[in-house]
Amino acid sequence: MARFLVSRLAGVVLILLLVCLFTFGVFFVLSPDPAVQICGKNCTPELIERIRDNLGLDEPLLTQFLTFVSGLFAGRTYGVGESATHCAAPCLGYSFQSSQPVWEMITDRLPVSVTVAVGAAVLWLLVGVVGGLVGALKRGTWWDRSAMVVALAGISIPNYVFALLLQYVLVVELEWLPFPQAVPFSEDPTRWFQNYLMPWIVLAFAYASVYARLTRANVIDTLEENYVRTARAKGLPGRLVIRRHALRPALTPVVTIFGMDFAGLLGGALITETVFGLNGVGKMTADSIARNDQPVIMGVTLLAAAFVVVGNVVVDLVYTALDPRVRVRSA
Amino acid sequence: MSGATSEPLLRVEELTVTFDGPRGDVDVVRELSFALEPGGSLGIVGESGSGKSMTSLAVLGLLPAGARRTGRISLSGRELTALTERQLRRVRGDRVAMVFQDPLSSLNPYYTVGAQIAEAYRAHRQRATRREARRVAVEAMERVHIDDAARRVDHYPHQFSGGMRQRVMIAMALCTEPDLLIADEPTTALDVTVQAQILRLLTEVRAETGAGLVLITHDLAVVSEMTDEVLVMRQGECVERATAERLFSDPRHPYTRALLDAVPRLDDEVGELRSVDEGGAR
Ligand SMILES: Nc1ncnc2c1ncn2[C@@H]1O[C@H](COP(=O)(O)OP(=O)(O)O)[C@@H](O)[C@H]1O
Ligand SMILES: [Mg+2]
Repeated sequence: MARFLVSRLAGVVLILLLVCLFTFGVFFVLSPDPAVQICGKNCTPELIERIRDNLGLDEPLLTQFLTFVSGLFAGRTYGVGESATHCAAPCLGYSFQSSQPVWEMITDRLPVSVTVAVGAAVLWLLVGVVGGLVGALKRGTWWDRSAMVVALAGISIPNYVFALLLQYVLVVELEWLPFPQAVPFSEDPTRWFQNYLMPWIVLAFAYASVYARLTRANVIDTLEENYVRTARAKGLPGRLVIRRHALRPALTPVVTIFGMDFAGLLGGALITETVFGLNGVGKMTADSIARNDQPVIMGVTLLAAAFVVVGNVVVDLVYTALDPRVRVRSA
Repeated sequence: MSGATSEPLLRVEELTVTFDGPRGDVDVVRELSFALEPGGSLGIVGESGSGKSMTSLAVLGLLPAGARRTGRISLSGRELTALTERQLRRVRGDRVAMVFQDPLSSLNPYYTVGAQIAEAYRAHRQRATRREARRVAVEAMERVHIDDAARRVDHYPHQFSGGMRQRVMIAMALCTEPDLLIADEPTTALDVTVQAQILRLLTEVRAETGAGLVLITHDLAVVSEMTDEVLVMRQGECVERATAERLFSDPRHPYTRALLDAVPRLDDEVGELRSVDEGGAR
C-alpha cells in the first residue's frame, strides 16, 4: 500500500511538471508577444524592450521555464530596482493588468468556486442517484419515464439557456428570489443562500441528469447479475438484496466519475459563475480570456489540471478501498 | 423436517414456464411433472436450452423478469405456488437451497465468502449473532473440505480457484441444513478433474445430511452415477423418465439414445463430446 502511494505521488509530480511544460509552451510560444500586451497604448519600443528584459522574455525558453518552476517553489522577482515586483511562492505568475500575483487572484476567488462546486455536488449526487435508482427499480413506470425525460432535458439544454431561463422565472416573473448580489455568509446567511441557490441548481441539473442515467443503467445491469439471483435464492428480503448486493456494485463506478467531475468543477464554472455574477475562479477566467491576461489564464489552467490530477489519485485510492478485487491480490 | 407423512419431498405437476417474446409467447418448459421422495435424488438431463434451468428456478419462484409459471409445485405437501413472497422467502435457502453453474459470477465480488455464507444463515436464524453466524460459516467451509477455513473465511471469491468457489457455494447451501438441494450444472464451469471432486463432495454431503437432490446436467454420465432417477428433457418437455439403470440398459426414446451416444467412452479423449445433433436425434 505504501509503495503504491509513493509511486502514485511520483506520477502526480511528473504529470504536473508535464502539464506545466505544456501550458508554458502553449502560452509563451504560440500566443502574441506578452510584452506588447503589457505595454498597452502609450507604448514605445524602448518600453517594450524594458518589459521584455524584466520578464526575461529574451532568455531561451528552457531558462524561462525553469525560472517559472522555481518561482512556484521559491517565489520570484520581476524586474530590478525600484520598478521590481515581488511574487511570493507559490508564484504562478504575475498579472501586470491587475497588478497582482496570479496565486493571490486565484485564492481570493477560490472560496466562491468551492462553494458553488460543493453545493452543486451535494445536490446532483442526491438527485441523480435517487432519480436513477427510482428509474431502475420502477422500470417502465410513469416514475421512470418522467425521470428519464427530465434527465434528457438536463443533458440537452445548454447550461446558459437554463441559467437565464431559471433567472427569468424565479427572479423576474415569480419574484421568489432577489436579484443576485454577492453577500458574505456572516452578514446575511439567507441572502447568501439565495444567491448560490440558482448556480447550484443550474450546475446540478446537468450533472444530475448524467448521474441519473448512469445509476439507472448500472442498477439495472447489476440486478441481472448471477450473484443477485444467489442472494434471492438464499431467502434474503428484497430490500436487502438491493441494498447489499445491487447497490454497492452499481454505485462504485458512480463514485469514480463523481471524483473526476468534482475535481474538474473546482477549477471554476466559467459559464454559470459569469451568468450569475459570482466572482469565482470561473468568472475570473472568463474575464481574463476576454482581456487576454495570459499569466492568469495560464495559472488557472495549471490549477485546474492540478485538481484533476490529484482528484484522479484520490479516486484511485477510494476505488481501491471500495473494490476488493483491486485491493486484495489473488492468494 | 417434514415429519413422517407419505407426501413426496417435492412434487411438480404440469409445470409450464412461458416467456412473452416479441413474436408471441414461448413455452420454454411444457407440462413437466415429476416427484422426489424425501432423501431421494433426481437427475434432469438435456442439451443446452432444453429448459432445465428454468425448471429449477421455477421451483423457488426465481424466474427472470418476463417469465410466467403455471402448474403446481409442492414441498412436503405444501403448495409453493400459493405462497406470498414473504412466505416463499422462508423456504428459499432454508428448506430448499440452490447451487448454480458458475460459482464466480454467482458469488458477490464485493463481500468475503464468510460474509456471504453467514448471510445465508442469518437470513433464516434471525436471532443468530454475527459471531455465531461466522462460526457456522467456518464449520460449513470445513465440511466441504476447504483447508484453513478459519483464515479463508475472510477471503474474497476472486482469491479462490473455481473448484474452491463451488465448494463455497455448497457450504452456503448447506449451512441452513436444507431438506432439498437443487444443483444446476454445478460442475459445468469447472476443470474435468475438479468436476469429479465436486460430485464426490455432493454425494458425501447428501449421505451426511440426508437431503434430497435435484441434479441438473447435460452430461448423462454424471447423472447415472449420482442419482436414482433420471428425467430427460428436450425443448421444454420430458421425453423419458426412468431409473438410471433402466435408462442406460434400455433407453426408450431416440433422443435419449442420441444423448447416450454422446457420452464420452473410455477410449475417447477426455472432455471430447460428440454433439447430440450428430447423433441423429433430429
Ligand atoms: N430471459 C429470457 N428471455 C427469453 N427466453 C429465455 C430467457 N432465459 C432463457 N430463455 C430461453 O429459455 C429456454 C430454456 O433455457 P434454460 O432453462 O436456461 O435452458 P438450460 O438450462 O436447459 O440450458 C432457452 O431456449 C432460452 O433461450
Ligand atoms: Mg442451464
